Amino acid sequence: MKIVHKIILANTFNILLIALTGFFAYQNLNLLLTKLRYVEIADDMNASFLEMRLSEKNYFLYKDTSALKTIQNKLNESKEAMESGRADIIKAIGARSYQQLESSTHAYLQIISSADVKAPASEELQSRIREAGQRLREFSDHITKMERSNVNRLIADSRTGLFTSLVLILFSALGFSQLISRRILKSLTEIENVAHAISEGTFTKVETVQTVDQDAVMKFLSRVKCFSFFLPNPSDELGSVMKAINSMSEELKKHEELIIQSKKLASIGILTAGVAHELGNPLNNISMMAQAYAELYEDLSREDRLDYMTKIEEETERIRDIVKNLLDFSKPKKPNRSEAHINDVVQKSLKLVQNMISISNIEISVRLADGLPRVSIDINQIQEVLINLITNAIQAATAGDELHISTRLNVDDNHVEIEVQDTGKGIPPEFLPHVFDPFFTTKEASGTGLGLFVSYGIIQNHQGSIRVQSEVGVGTCFTIELPAYDTKEINNEWS
Amino acid sequence: MSGAKIIVIDDENIVGKMIKATFEKEGYHVETFLSAAPALARLKEETFDVIITDLKMKGIDGMEVLRIVKKEAPGTKVIMITAFASMDSAIEAVRGKVDDFFPKPFKIKDLKACVERLLCQ
Repeated sequence: MKIVHKIILANTFNILLIALTGFFAYQNLNLLLTKLRYVEIADDMNASFLEMRLSEKNYFLYKDTSALKTIQNKLNESKEAMESGRADIIKAIGARSYQQLESSTHAYLQIISSADVKAPASEELQSRIREAGQRLREFSDHITKMERSNVNRLIADSRTGLFTSLVLILFSALGFSQLISRRILKSLTEIENVAHAISEGTFTKVETVQTVDQDAVMKFLSRVKCFSFFLPNPSDELGSVMKAINSMSEELKKHEELIIQSKKLASIGILTAGVAHELGNPLNNISMMAQAYAELYEDLSREDRLDYMTKIEEETERIRDIVKNLLDFSKPKKPNRSEAHINDVVQKSLKLVQNMISISNIEISVRLADGLPRVSIDINQIQEVLINLITNAIQAATAGDELHISTRLNVDDNHVEIEVQDTGKGIPPEFLPHVFDPFFTTKEASGTGLGLFVSYGIIQNHQGSIRVQSEVGVGTCFTIELPAYDTKEINNEWS
Repeated sequence: MSGAKIIVIDDENIVGKMIKATFEKEGYHVETFLSAAPALARLKEETFDVIITDLKMKGIDGMEVLRIVKKEAPGTKVIMITAFASMDSAIEAVRGKVDDFFPKPFKIKDLKACVERLLCQ
């Protein structure tokens, strides 16, 4: 069921509840009104009955026969009132009580009518009149009292009834909205997580089917069948959104794979072009020397010939080195990790290039942060990277330039950062995206174009990252990030 | 064509050395340079018949040499050599501008024949 339908259904349920309460309240008020109307009639009749009793006394004590006429009139009046209010009275006190009342009135009227107006009342007639009158009055009194208490009860009942239904409606409305919004929020949280994961480059899938939830409420709901209404449903709007996100995620994954593939192909292109060029020179040297050797054989002295052969051997060694280097990249060595302080590694690397620094006549400043967490690294590989970066910086620098090397902790993501910054000539923006490509070099003949490519691979193997910022004429800054080892361990122990 | 003057520019010193050794046997006068700047300076002092230059070099590259030579000394022939494997782009770059083009490795006798042909023109 779609969420919009669920909301409509919940609202309809609440509206029905309100309508039902209203209906019952209306019915109650109507009943109350008839009861009150009866009580009004009954009050009038009671007053008449009281007068009849007084007239009875006049008749018995003072032999006032006109009193009988008065009683008769009053009785007829009461009967008329009863007749006219018959429907209301039956509604208020029920048909049986009404009939009883009617018959009592009738009996009384008969006795009164049977009395001889000329003669004084006999003892027997007197007692019969008295009895009937008393019975009528008592019965009417009783019913009136009962109805009064009924009215009070009705008011009290409808008060509690109204209050209860109000509470019920409130709970139902709150409950529904809470459950539905929980359902929406839950899905939104899932979507948010996935979107976050995608933005970080991980193409995960959202679970569109109901999963066993950690949420206590959802757990309870999933156990009770009739509440499955509130559980995530793959066919509702959020389910569709999740499906859309999933297909988007899959598309992105495919695209990224394609991009990676084309990047790989591009890299292979650069690589082969680079390899061919690198190999072309020594091959040409060997070829030229062999041709010259043959052509000039007679003119060459013994030393010259040996020199030619030595040079040919040197050139083949050059080719062998290139091939060996190539094999090194195609199979990057797995880092042989050990715990280390990055500051020690930086200082060791600096010692190794000390000579080059002093020859190049550049200013060097080292700023190493205290209390850095340890890192788990292959010290030789990281040293190779640092030496590579420092050498590059020195080669890009002219006398008087500065080289800053610093370490620091990136608290946000628990990384140790190493920065190698120079004030050299900088890298033109069009070259910047290619500095980590194989065989890319700005050093022309003196560079193999492999240093940064190798460095990049090493840092990747350490789950770290290396990035470059550069501005022509201002300088270049390489930043290496390596995951901190200590905190990672502590986190593992805690989790 | 003995006596003709040739400049060779290549940062691989063996290239210059071998061309010098084999060409001077035929009576050519060969001067070799490891980079373009001193070669261009030398060219200002004297007229040369042929310049054999590498394409990819540190500092001034072969294309720049070609441009300067054709402007300063239009009579001087320029032969480009390069180790670039993807020659399509390299050939495209020099097509119609350079007098001839040799991918490395090349035959010295082909180069000689080419120089002779250019000098006859």
